[in-house]
Amino acid sequence: MPRSVNDTLASVASRPVGSRRPSAFTRHQAWVGWWLVLPALVVFAIVILYPFVRAIVGAFYRDTLFLPEPVFGGLRNFRDLFASAPVLASWTRTIVFVGAGTALTLLLGFAWAVVLNERWPGAKVLRSLSLLPWLFPSTVVAFLWAWIFNAQYGVINGLLLRLGVIDQPIFWLSSSAGAMSAVIVAKTWATIPFAMAFFLAALQTIPSDQLDAARVDGAGNASVMRHIVLPHVRYTTVILVVLVAVNNLQHFDIIYAMTEGGPVRATTVLAIEVFKQAFQSWNIGLASAIGVVWLATIAVPAYFYLRSIFGEE
Amino acid sequence: MLQLRHPASRVTFIVLAVLLGVFVFFPIVWMVLTAFKPQPELFQRIPTILPESPTLQNFTRALTRGGIPRYVLNSLITAGGSALFTTVIATYAAYSFAKYRYWGRRPIMYLLVSARMFPLALILIALYPIFNRLGLLNTHVALILAYVVFALPAASYILYSYFAQLPSELIEAARVDGAGDLRILHVIIIPLALPALITVALYGFIWGWNDLLFALTLVTSDSMRTIGPGLLFTYLGEFQVDWGGAMAASIVTSVPIVLVFTLLQRFFVQGLTAGAVKS
Repeated sequence: MPRSVNDTLASVASRPVGSRRPSAFTRHQAWVGWWLVLPALVVFAIVILYPFVRAIVGAFYRDTLFLPEPVFGGLRNFRDLFASAPVLASWTRTIVFVGAGTALTLLLGFAWAVVLNERWPGAKVLRSLSLLPWLFPSTVVAFLWAWIFNAQYGVINGLLLRLGVIDQPIFWLSSSAGAMSAVIVAKTWATIPFAMAFFLAALQTIPSDQLDAARVDGAGNASVMRHIVLPHVRYTTVILVVLVAVNNLQHFDIIYAMTEGGPVRATTVLAIEVFKQAFQSWNIGLASAIGVVWLATIAVPAYFYLRSIFGEE
Repeated sequence: MLQLRHPASRVTFIVLAVLLGVFVFFPIVWMVLTAFKPQPELFQRIPTILPESPTLQNFTRALTRGGIPRYVLNSLITAGGSALFTTVIATYAAYSFAKYRYWGRRPIMYLLVSARMFPLALILIALYPIFNRLGLLNTHVALILAYVVFALPAASYILYSYFAQLPSELIEAARVDGAGDLRILHVIIIPLALPALITVALYGFIWGWNDLLFALTLVTSDSMRTIGPGLLFTYLGEFQVDWGGAMAASIVTSVPIVLVFTLLQRFFVQGLTAGAVKS
């Protein structure tokens, strides 16, 4: 649609110009168009582009607290990185966190949207209330779940003890698997509203005549789900997978506030690894190198992200 | 959408609804219940459900100790500032992408929207010395600038999809009447796009409000701290001790955003999800 309108506009404005020179209207469009994006571009350049380029350059320098100034080190930081098993393990942990977190968020978000899409008393109110978890600062989310998972006084252990499922409390946050599960649950909880809102919006656009027709043909719930609902929400699902995965991949806040990446390194995902190398060990060079390799790993998903959101144009 | 007349499907649906409802809402309910329990009641292996002797002492402690009111104020300034700033620059950028055609439009659009993919921690490493040299560490400006860029991708995209579907005949007609480009944008387009602008502003606000990473790094003085690191430093030391206080403080600090959101939410969901639904 933009194109055709544009052509109309162009033909109106460029009537007198018969040559190949860009018309006055085209030049005007470019001039105003550029001025309008300029503020966004300037801020982008200052806060992202320039630091980004500097950080990439920094990955090739040795830059630690013990050096008076950065020294060119070639690929040394990258060699250190690939020689360090603990650092490499943060890739695995990131994959676990992002994979499990994204899958859970999508699954539960979809199920919750289906539940709230039905008409029953209270569904409308719950739709609004369901957005609450998203509004809490990460620290609050972390407090909340650290308290629920608390080994001595937490409600989960209390319930399990009461029901007789366990007779000794589980030390959720001080065991590796327990801590990883806890941060995945906390992050999922905080992101479900987002996924639910997107799925709900998609569910509400399913044409009712399609549903009615299927019902007349005797389709059951399972069949309606499979042949009408799931195909209908496919596009939304793709967008959500990318948005949620990117968000989880970058995620630092809840994990850091809950576990600081521990116990030992059990929840040290890439974001925490880079932060710790840079701002706790002050090994800026190595931290940058990790960031660069991280960026290389997400280049492919990044491409699909851009493709999927601008796909229609 | 579903047919729940059959008892089996009805039961399945109800079980699913209850389980999900408990997962979504129980933590919030638990936070509120905990905040009203006096200290000794919290230190029990098997917790009480309702407070046996409800008290407000956790709230008075949260409000009187440390800098919690100041943290809220700092968060309101930085999140609010970034919401405003994001909305303004995203509006111009998105309008340009949607209604102008020029060389370089696509690459710029991709670049701005891809900002969300750059590893934030990596950016931060280089941002820190830059802000240091500019004297911006420990200022609201540092956080506002940082939040703007990370809210900008989604903001520009939401507004872009909104502007793109506005009929260009509107613009054309105004132009024929002799209105300039900026006048058309300010007088005709922006009032029309108000729901989308509110969505984007709220989105920017939430982004800044929820942040911990940037606030933790770019701000170190206690007087400039925002809610995220503020709460963390206040309660981390006594994490094991003052759970009632931590929950009360969490509730107090969440009140402003919940209020703002309640007022504006009907615009919000619609605007946020508009680009992600294909009909």
